[in-house]
Amino acid sequence: MATTAAPTFATHTEYAVGEGWRAWLGTTDHKKIGYLYFFTALFFLMFGGAEAEMIRWQLRAPNEHFLSAETYNQIFTMHGTTMIFLVVMPMSAAFFNLLIPLQIGARDVAFPRLNAFSYWVYLLGAIFISVPIFFGAAPNGGWFGYAPLTTMPYSPGLNIDFWALGLQILGISSLAAGFNFITTIINMRAPGMNLMRMPMFTWMAFVVQFLIVLAFPVITIAVVFLVFDRFFGTNFYEIAAGADPLLWQHLFWVFGHPEVYILVLPAFGLVSEVLPTFSRKPLFGYPVMVYSGILIGVLGFGVWAHHMFAVGMGPIADTVFGVTTMLIAIPTGVKIFNWIFTMWGGSIHFTTASMFAIGLVGMFTIGGISGIMHSSPPADLQQTDTYFIVAHFHYVLFGGSLMGLFAGIYYYFPKLTGHMLDERLGQWHFWLNLVGSNLAFFPMHFSGLLGMPRRIYTYDANQGWDGFNMMSTAGAIIVGVASAILAINILISRKRGAPAGNDPWGGGTLEWSIPSPPPVYNFVHIPRVTSRYPMWDLTSPQLTADVPHTRAGDKSVEVDVAGVDAGHAGPRPGGAPAGRSPAPVVAAARIPTAEELGIPIPYTTLKPFFTALGLTVMLSGLPFAHADMPGIEYTLIFAGACTLVGSLFWWVTSPLEPEVAHSEHTH
Amino acid sequence: MPFPSRPRRQVAAALAGAAVLAVPLLLAACDVKSYPNSTFLPHSEFGKAIDDLWNLLLQLGTLVFVFVEGLLVYTIIKYRRRPGAAPPRHVHGNTTLEILWTVIPAVILVFIAVPTVKTIFKTEARASADALQVEVYGHQWWWEFRYPQYGVTTANELYLPIGRKVNFALRTQDVLHSFWIPQLGGKRDLISNHTNYLWFTPDSTMSTSAWNGTCNEYCGASHANMRFRVFVVPPADFARWATHQASPAVFPVSTVAPPPPPAPAPAATPARRPAGRTASGAADAQPLVRPVANGALGAQAAADADAPTIVQGGSQAPDGDVFPRDSLRPNNIPTTPTPDGLTFTPGLVGDAGRGQKIYSISACIGCHTIKGNPSSVGITGPNLTHVGSRFTIAAGLYPNDTEHLRLWIKNAREMKDGVLMLTLGLNQIDPQTGIKVTAGGLTDQQIADIAAYLQALK
Repeated sequence: MATTAAPTFATHTEYAVGEGWRAWLGTTDHKKIGYLYFFTALFFLMFGGAEAEMIRWQLRAPNEHFLSAETYNQIFTMHGTTMIFLVVMPMSAAFFNLLIPLQIGARDVAFPRLNAFSYWVYLLGAIFISVPIFFGAAPNGGWFGYAPLTTMPYSPGLNIDFWALGLQILGISSLAAGFNFITTIINMRAPGMNLMRMPMFTWMAFVVQFLIVLAFPVITIAVVFLVFDRFFGTNFYEIAAGADPLLWQHLFWVFGHPEVYILVLPAFGLVSEVLPTFSRKPLFGYPVMVYSGILIGVLGFGVWAHHMFAVGMGPIADTVFGVTTMLIAIPTGVKIFNWIFTMWGGSIHFTTASMFAIGLVGMFTIGGISGIMHSSPPADLQQTDTYFIVAHFHYVLFGGSLMGLFAGIYYYFPKLTGHMLDERLGQWHFWLNLVGSNLAFFPMHFSGLLGMPRRIYTYDANQGWDGFNMMSTAGAIIVGVASAILAINILISRKRGAPAGNDPWGGGTLEWSIPSPPPVYNFVHIPRVTSRYPMWDLTSPQLTADVPHTRAGDKSVEVDVAGVDAGHAGPRPGGAPAGRSPAPVVAAARIPTAEELGIPIPYTTLKPFFTALGLTVMLSGLPFAHADMPGIEYTLIFAGACTLVGSLFWWVTSPLEPEVAHSEHTH
Repeated sequence: MPFPSRPRRQVAAALAGAAVLAVPLLLAACDVKSYPNSTFLPHSEFGKAIDDLWNLLLQLGTLVFVFVEGLLVYTIIKYRRRPGAAPPRHVHGNTTLEILWTVIPAVILVFIAVPTVKTIFKTEARASADALQVEVYGHQWWWEFRYPQYGVTTANELYLPIGRKVNFALRTQDVLHSFWIPQLGGKRDLISNHTNYLWFTPDSTMSTSAWNGTCNEYCGASHANMRFRVFVVPPADFARWATHQASPAVFPVSTVAPPPPPAPAPAATPARRPAGRTASGAADAQPLVRPVANGALGAQAAADADAPTIVQGGSQAPDGDVFPRDSLRPNNIPTTPTPDGLTFTPGLVGDAGRGQKIYSISACIGCHTIKGNPSSVGITGPNLTHVGSRFTIAAGLYPNDTEHLRLWIKNAREMKDGVLMLTLGLNQIDPQTGIKVTAGGLTDQQIADIAAYLQALK
């Protein structure tokens, strides 16, 4: 994709991106798709948060009946499902979309239309799985939907149908995006950006995409079995026919444990971007951070049965999975120490972004320690399925994933929208969040070890759990206030925040070299990259002077740096070194359009949207089979299938972007 | 620098506060009165093995916590940005340090892994053959306990002898459940089409005591209401209990029984069983072997304020009350409120004899077994042979007293979400179907009679 000279095009008139709703519905621009992911995930964060508040309100005291058992079970199932599949994964996807092309110096992802398709499938799948809660028919089998509770004899309602089919739809979104980003990262890095110069967020995103494409097929199979059991009379999980329910557990956790790292590694990546910027120091031990990320990903596939120590696997399996689980603590610990030593000797600037990043380091450590506590199978027998586990994974997923994503939001919101988030509101958000989440989740360690099972909609008095539950509820309310502040901050700052300029924080990676929000083509010229922090080579050459590759230049990308003081190669075209001090980082008076620069931009197209719509409509016909409405069932399936096939055909037979006529284009 | 040093001190204060707070909480967690389901005070060798591991994990975990969080707080305070400070040197890494913080955690993990593996093989070994065998069957949402060595089948209340190893065979009749008594050791799941095993020995130093058990694997609507009680009693009491439980129901008293002495009638609503009313299965109901003298206990049963006084067979007075009620702690007695709007006609007096007749021709017998009542052979619901000797009903949800038992029979589905047992009261609305019970519904008087009968099944 390296384009050394601007090519010319046969048709110049066709790359209008459109206006209004069509520009959004038909967009293939990774930044706009990131924007859509961001705000959809934000909406669901509030949705899942409201569910959490209802759970905590129910549990504030013993024997409360704010919610009925059935409603509570739907709400806790949807809280988990929402937060995992509709909040943390898509919020990570928002950052993948926004950042991967910008960080590797590309104009878009490898398959822009597939990218749009991923988003629309996610949105429609999210609606599909969320709407039933308003009709009292939401999934109620827990987020890991253990068989045989989810089979027809024990869950004859539509609830599990919506869950199984919704998960299938959402899985397609993740898989499509996974292949897309892998292709993008492998093929579309700017010249000179070898793998060991790739920003750490992109690295972690890269690992996550492999986890997705390896783990999601497993849950797909597991859910296909379940759907076949429920609709077509197979017996994969039908215990009356002799099925072994452990099949589901193994399949689910072979997916489910890598899923944990799918949720947390993007946050690790974001923190690895935020901490160096605000410490004014490069990431400590970059290669080890890369290797530990990969190792976490690989080991993550070998520990799934630690969710099953109580199922009676026998001493050999318990030993193996206990020990592999302990092993995974080593690369995780390495990351924690490397982050601390990134700050060590630095000049730490406390902004909301860096405080959330530091918060992640502190909170995730607690989650990691409690994780070790139940990596020991005998100890786990006193901990599993109690509130101790609830405490553990909230420290990992709230203190880890969400704190990291919040850090990323404050750090990258200016790049996404061109406006800064309000720091004063940000401080309120951070402090309320830190206090509230610890008040909510730390007492759960105690209620769990003092005997409180998880997933109970009520509990008896005199069990010694009252005080801890009241604390947890108070903490959850504080977190709710914090989240409301975040939403207000984002909604206000989206249009009215202070203008960001190219580089509000003094970042070191390529995304800070271009305007905020970036023009549709991202980079006027594809940059040449000679270091891990090309912007710092420009903005603070005196600090990066002793970095070997900076001093020596990089012949392979025709960047030759004559001497230490002569200048540094950075995000600029061609082989000429920068020569003098960097140009001041200000937004250009007017950003040229892609048309003026002659850069091909994919057409705006509704085909991915209609393909996603067809897929969702087709699958949404199935539950009507259980509602005894075959007319609607067959109509929806047929109409959806026709839309899917038609749109797909239309899609694959139409060009992505205006045809390039000139031969000077190099690949 | 919009945010000067204050926030950093707050971080430090918050973290220090959390650490300081944790210690007294941990100490408090050792108090069995305040925290009756605590895992920190194990009463079996299984629980103690886990507790030893836990203490190791807690010590090492605390060490790591203090070190890492201390390092973090120190770093962000020491290296905060100060006005006019020189830009930091660009350090890219340090191989020695990075090897150190790879190796040290690995060594710590070895200290955890070795005792872990030892404990795994110790606790998952086969139970010795002379152990007390208990078969646990999970149901949505109650527990069935069978003692094959004693021929006992009971529900939701488990009796264990002090100092004898007990081996549980765990099975489920429907979805997955998980069997957990926090003070007696770790939990084990009940997996459909599998049999799992779990064994431990209640400490021989333990006195008579009652513990609460729970289901820990989400199993549907009333997962929260699937509780049980564990009564740990001296071996002699256990033997007495088991022999009694194995015997058929002793109501009604056989005609060969000596005439009953007049019993004290402390209850407000004493119900006397009319003489000479003998059900067809009465002969079977006469136990062949009776436990040794326990006449005093008959009086104790009668003194139970909640139960209608039933005159029973003299020295053969059946009695399940080997566990003294005053040994119960508050956490053993359910406090679940009854549903609003579910009431019972006040002042009704139940007649156990009449109750037996109604019971024996109504829907009850389709699901429940009462050994000694030949019409009652259902197996879907809990075995009621000695239901009057239990402290709780509905899987530990309500105390087993007249008020709760009557309401339960009247509208179980209002009393416990999702429960399989039908709404039986006349003109009651079944909350699961929304249908009003009309024909065949039980009147309050009939329910009072059935309750009296069930309470008589000591």
